[in-house]
Amino acid sequence: MTMLRKTQHFGLLIFFLSQKASLETVDRHFESKVDLLLNVETENPKCFAEGMRDLTCFWEDEDGGSADQYSFTYTYENEKSSECKVTSQPAEGAKTRYFCHLPKVQHFGDLYLRVFRDGLQIYNRSLLINLLFWLDPPANLTVTQTGKLGQLKVTWLPPPLKYMENSMMYEVRYTAGSTWKEKVVRESTEITLQGLQVNTKYKVQVRVKPDGLTYDGFWSSWTLPVSMTTAPKDVDPLILALCLIITFVLVLLSLTALVSHRSSLQKKMWPLIPSPENKFPGLFTVYGGDFQEWLGHSGGGLRPSPAFFFFEELPAMLEVLSEATPVPPRSVESRACNLPESGCKENEEDLQNAESGQEGWQPTPPAHWLMKHFQTLQQGPSPFSWSTQLESKDSYVTLDHSFQPKPQETPMDDISEESAPLRVLFTSAEISASHSDLGSLPQSSRSGRLSSESSLEYPHSIWPPKGISYASLTLADSGVSVDYSPMNSIRTAAGGIGGFYNNDYKNEIPKPNEPLSGCPIYSAC
Amino acid sequence: MEIPRLVAVLLMVLEWTHSGLPSPLRPICDPRVLDRFIKEARDMEVTMRSCSDGCSLAEPLPVPLTSVDFAVWEKEDAQKQAQEVQSGLWLLSEAISVVRASVTSAMLQSLLDNSHSNLHSIRQVIRSLNFQEYMPPTGGTAHEETWRVSSMPELLRVHTNFLRGKVRLLLASAAACRRDGS
Repeated sequence: MTMLRKTQHFGLLIFFLSQKASLETVDRHFESKVDLLLNVETENPKCFAEGMRDLTCFWEDEDGGSADQYSFTYTYENEKSSECKVTSQPAEGAKTRYFCHLPKVQHFGDLYLRVFRDGLQIYNRSLLINLLFWLDPPANLTVTQTGKLGQLKVTWLPPPLKYMENSMMYEVRYTAGSTWKEKVVRESTEITLQGLQVNTKYKVQVRVKPDGLTYDGFWSSWTLPVSMTTAPKDVDPLILALCLIITFVLVLLSLTALVSHRSSLQKKMWPLIPSPENKFPGLFTVYGGDFQEWLGHSGGGLRPSPAFFFFEELPAMLEVLSEATPVPPRSVESRACNLPESGCKENEEDLQNAESGQEGWQPTPPAHWLMKHFQTLQQGPSPFSWSTQLESKDSYVTLDHSFQPKPQETPMDDISEESAPLRVLFTSAEISASHSDLGSLPQSSRSGRLSSESSLEYPHSIWPPKGISYASLTLADSGVSVDYSPMNSIRTAAGGIGGFYNNDYKNEIPKPNEPLSGCPIYSAC
Repeated sequence: MEIPRLVAVLLMVLEWTHSGLPSPLRPICDPRVLDRFIKEARDMEVTMRSCSDGCSLAEPLPVPLTSVDFAVWEKEDAQKQAQEVQSGLWLLSEAISVVRASVTSAMLQSLLDNSHSNLHSIRQVIRSLNFQEYMPPTGGTAHEETWRVSSMPELLRVHTNFLRGKVRLLLASAAACRRDGS
């Protein structure tokens, strides 16, 4: 039994203590309101209502009086006046505060107050209680992050007062540390703060006041600050990565498309204008497109790159043959290939035999080397069958001063388009080398006269020379320079291969009736 | 061709039968409706507060009591509340009409007309909430609590407080609105 009693007593004690604690918190709010109102309210007595069923009026006095001195009367409209009990409280600075808590509260009707001190009225006031609310700050203030950057959602509970749910006005203030920003909220107990800095800690506070239409009052005190950090920019890396991937994929696709259609694109954007310039050295640059002139000066034009000649495959044979002593390769000529199309091998062999057979036909070692060299060079295609003919022709070409360029005019028309380039090689000199047709070449044991005779015999294949144009056929690698003096045609053979090219070597397009065999250049003609 | 005619006739018949019955008004539950009236009344009261001369009434006019004791009010029956409110509104309308007749200023006249129409609208709102209509007997509102005002600012103050208090409480606690809301 005693134990039970003890627990009961203990429980009661705890209860009272908690009540006191709650009262103390209430008092703290009350005290703060009183303090604030003393500064705000000018009228006396100062009154405020905390809820729907109370009204507190107070005043301050410096005289060290007691509550008994004062009497407080209040009168509602159309009613008799009533008395309110005055209580006192000591305040700082030797002041005393006197309170009166009205037992009965009526709203929406005038209330007439009077304060008497020692029978004398000191204060009187007429007021409407519904216009004097001083509410407690809102409860359950919560600040949360929304899904978006720079936003915070603030919610709170409205004051739990009946009939006043729709009559509240709130003020929210927030700061990142330095300055406070305020926002007024009506008819809602939540707000989304926007335009905040990312990844920053914000403090938020809320206070409440009746909206002033039906109910009015004073701003409540601020709630305790609630802190929350805004979301960091952690969403961005994901978006950034996705964007990068998409961009990469797009770039890849575009590159693939570009590469696959590169040729067509190139054709569209930079259409290749075919130009025959490479086949006509100097035609456009030196002679400005004047073909006649270019033909006439083909000697000069024949100088350029050795590659040009390699392409044409022509010089080799000429070189070899010319080097030999002026034993006219007449026999060779006679055995020249008659058929341009068919292989000229037979004739070549004959030529070779002739060469070897002839005493004077001693190709110098350089010639061998040259031949070999040219052999290798002539691995490439020989596009013109008649070029080899020229080779064979080369062997016959030995022109000397006695050779006069034939004034004959061979019709240029015979020149086919294909053979035109080859003319480049031999324009300057009229090829007096005779082909097989010219079997009637006179024996020219003398140097240099072969050609002339052969040329005489071979009118058809002689281009109309413009004058004596000197052999300009040069062997590229040997760097042979053309010796244009007709006298030196063969005598300079010893000087080198250059001797060969004293021939007037005219481009001769083999006519269809001129059978010229296409001898591969590497076969010693 | 015949079917549309039939439909038209049918619709007309339905309309007649429909109109024969008293169609219930849609309940006006938005508190902002009354709040607007309260705002206008308050603005007029503030405007008239400065009026001191020439604002006294020829004779005191009966006006309803405005103060509300919540404890008492909540105990009251809803119908009684409606009666109290409607009689008060009627009294106020009467008083405003009397004042309007004696006022010469055009601005005042327009303001008073506005108040009068607002009171009428409030009566319509109350009717929409299914409150039984109540008209105080012309003989007097003896059983109703009234008091008399002698100046226009006072009248307007009563007007405002009446709307803020009893009328607003009645509308806020109307059963028709509660059922809709819940």
